[in-house]
Amino acid sequence: MEAMSGTNSINDYPIYAEGLMRHFGDVKAVDGVDLQVNAGEVFGFLGPNGAGKSTTVRMLTTLLRPTAGVARVAGFDVVKDADQVRRRIGVALQDAAIDPLMTGHELLALQAVLYGIPKAKVRDRSRELLERVGLTGAADRRVGTYSGGMRRRLDLALSLIHQPTVLFLDEPTTGLDPMSRLALWEEVRRLNAEGTTVLLTTQYLEEADQLAHRIAIIDHGKIVRQGEPRELKAHVGAPTLVITVPTGQLDRAREVLRSFGDLRPTAEGSLGVGLSAGAEAVPAVVRSLDEAGMHVQHLELNEPSLDDVFAEATGYRLEGAASASGLPQAQGAEGGTGKRGRKRGANDSGGEPT
Amino acid sequence: MSVGTIAPRAEFAHSAETGHAWSQTMAMSKRSIIAIVRQPALIIPSLIFPLFFAALGSSSFSRATQLPGFPKVDSFLALTLAASVLQGVIFGSVTGGAALAVDIETGFFDRLLASPTSRVSILVGRLAGNALFGSVEALFFTLVMIPFGVNIRSGPAGVAVITVAGGLIGLGIGGFMAAMALRTGSAEAVQGIFPLLFVSMFFSSAFFPRETMKGVYRSIANYNPLSHLYEGMRDLVITGWSFDAVLKSLLIPIAIGCVSIPLALLALRRRLRAA
Repeated sequence: MEAMSGTNSINDYPIYAEGLMRHFGDVKAVDGVDLQVNAGEVFGFLGPNGAGKSTTVRMLTTLLRPTAGVARVAGFDVVKDADQVRRRIGVALQDAAIDPLMTGHELLALQAVLYGIPKAKVRDRSRELLERVGLTGAADRRVGTYSGGMRRRLDLALSLIHQPTVLFLDEPTTGLDPMSRLALWEEVRRLNAEGTTVLLTTQYLEEADQLAHRIAIIDHGKIVRQGEPRELKAHVGAPTLVITVPTGQLDRAREVLRSFGDLRPTAEGSLGVGLSAGAEAVPAVVRSLDEAGMHVQHLELNEPSLDDVFAEATGYRLEGAASASGLPQAQGAEGGTGKRGRKRGANDSGGEPT
Repeated sequence: MSVGTIAPRAEFAHSAETGHAWSQTMAMSKRSIIAIVRQPALIIPSLIFPLFFAALGSSSFSRATQLPGFPKVDSFLALTLAASVLQGVIFGSVTGGAALAVDIETGFFDRLLASPTSRVSILVGRLAGNALFGSVEALFFTLVMIPFGVNIRSGPAGVAVITVAGGLIGLGIGGFMAAMALRTGSAEAVQGIFPLLFVSMFFSSAFFPRETMKGVYRSIANYNPLSHLYEGMRDLVITGWSFDAVLKSLLIPIAIGCVSIPLALLALRRRLRAA
C-alpha cells in the first residue's frame, strides 16, 4: 500500500472519487466525498444510517448518477464508462435482493448469463462458488427457504460469479446472527487475501475495526475522518496502560511510568499512563518495571476505540454500535485471523476501556 | 493486506463483451416463466376467473343469442371465448407487471442494473414471459371450451391464430403494465390498473355484439380497439377462416404493442436517467 502512495495516477486506484456529490432536491445526501482506495485494500465506509454510505456506493457502482464530482472504479469513469465498470465490479447491496422463487443454482446461472460467462464454464464456476460459501447442499432449494445468513452468502457468491476486481459490500452483515457475521468476515478476508479490493460499508465499529485496512467515517454526506483505524485512534489520543502493583510499590512504579508519558487517573490501587510512543512502548514499560523490581500483578492496555474516533469527528457517538455487532467484546479484539493481530496487553479488552 | 491489482485478473473479467443480448433476454424470460410456474396461487385465478365468468354469462345470457343483431352462434360461450382469453391475459399481464415492480421494490432490479446486461433485455425478457403465458392461456381457454360446445369453425389453423393472438395480447397489455411498473416502481400501482382494464372490456363488444348496443355505449365500443380484436377472434370461432379475421386478431394486439412497448422503453429510460 505504501508503495503506491505519492506516485499514483487516479487510474491506479481501484476506487477513486473526487468531490463526489449527490443531491436529492435540497437534500445533500453526499456532499463532496473524496476517496482513494488502494489496490488489494479492504476499505471500510463507516457511518450511521442516512450518513450517505449507500448513496456513495450506488454512485460508485453506476446505479446512481453523481450530481457533481468525479468517480472512477477499476480505472473507468462511472458515468462515461459505466459498462466497463460493471464488468469489473461485484456488488452485494444492502438487502440481499434475491429472487425467492429461484434456487441458488438458478440464480447463479442467471447471473452468469448476465455477465456473459461461457455456458461451458457456468457449472464449474457455480459449484466452486456454492462450495466456497457453504451452500452446496442448499443449491437446489428455493431461496425463499434460506435463512438470512444463507441469503447473504448466496448474495456474495452471486457478486463473485465473474471474479470481479473490486467488490462492493453494502452493510453485508446487517441483521445477521454472530456466527453468520463471523463467517462472512472470514470470507471477506479470504477474498481480500486473493487480491480483491473490497469497499465495505458498515455501521458496526467492530466490523470496520476487524476488516478494514483503512476506514472513512462519513457523516451528513461528508467524510469527516479517513485513515488506518490505528492512526485514527492514535490521533484521538495515546493508549492508556493500566498496571496494578502491590500497594507498597505504587510510588516507585509511578516514577517509572512517568518516563513513558502522562499519568492518567485510574481506579484506586492501580496506575495509568498515556503511552506517548503508543502501544509499542508496552514491552519497554514492562522491562523497566521489572528492572526496578516491581511485581506487576495486572496489566492492560486501553486504546482509544473507533467509537472515540467517531465521537471526536462527529460530536456524537454511533449509538449502540459496540453491542449492535452482537459479538462479545473479547472475541472481537483479536478475532483469530484479524489482520492487525499485534500483541496487546495481558487483559486487553479490544479498545474499550475496562 | 494482499497485493491487489486494478487490472482484470480473472478469466471472466471481460467475458461480458462476448455475452449476447439474446441469451440475456432468454435468461430473463426463463426467470419470468419460473415465477409464473412457481406461483400457482397467483396464476390459477387468471385461469379460473375467466372460465367462471364465461360460465356465468353463458347461463345468464344464453337466450340473448336470439336477439336481433346477434350473430348465429352455437352457444354464448363461442361468443365469449375471446373475452375469456383477454381476461386471462389481463390477469397475467398485471401479475407480470407487478412482479417487475416487486423487483424494483426489493432491489433485484438494481442487481440487474449493476451487471453489464443489456437494459432492454431486462424489459424484453419480462415481456417475452408475458407473451408465452398469454399464448398458453389462449390455448387453455380454447381447449377447455371445446368440450362445452364451442366449435372452432376455422379449425386448427384458427386455434393457432388465437394462440398467437393471446401471446401478442400478452405482449401489448404487458407493455402497459411494464411501463406502469417502471414509472411507479410500485406493485400496488400496477395492480390498481386492473379494474380500469377490466372496465374497458365492458365498453367493447366483449360480451355482446356491437349491433346490439345503442348510444354512447355503442360509440365507445366502436372506437375501442378491443372490440375489433374480439370480433376478429370471434369470427375465427363462429364464422370460420377469413383473412380479415386473422388480420384483426393479430394486427390489433401488434398495434397495442406498438404503443405500449415504446411507452415501457421510455419509462425504462426515464428510470435509468433519474438514477
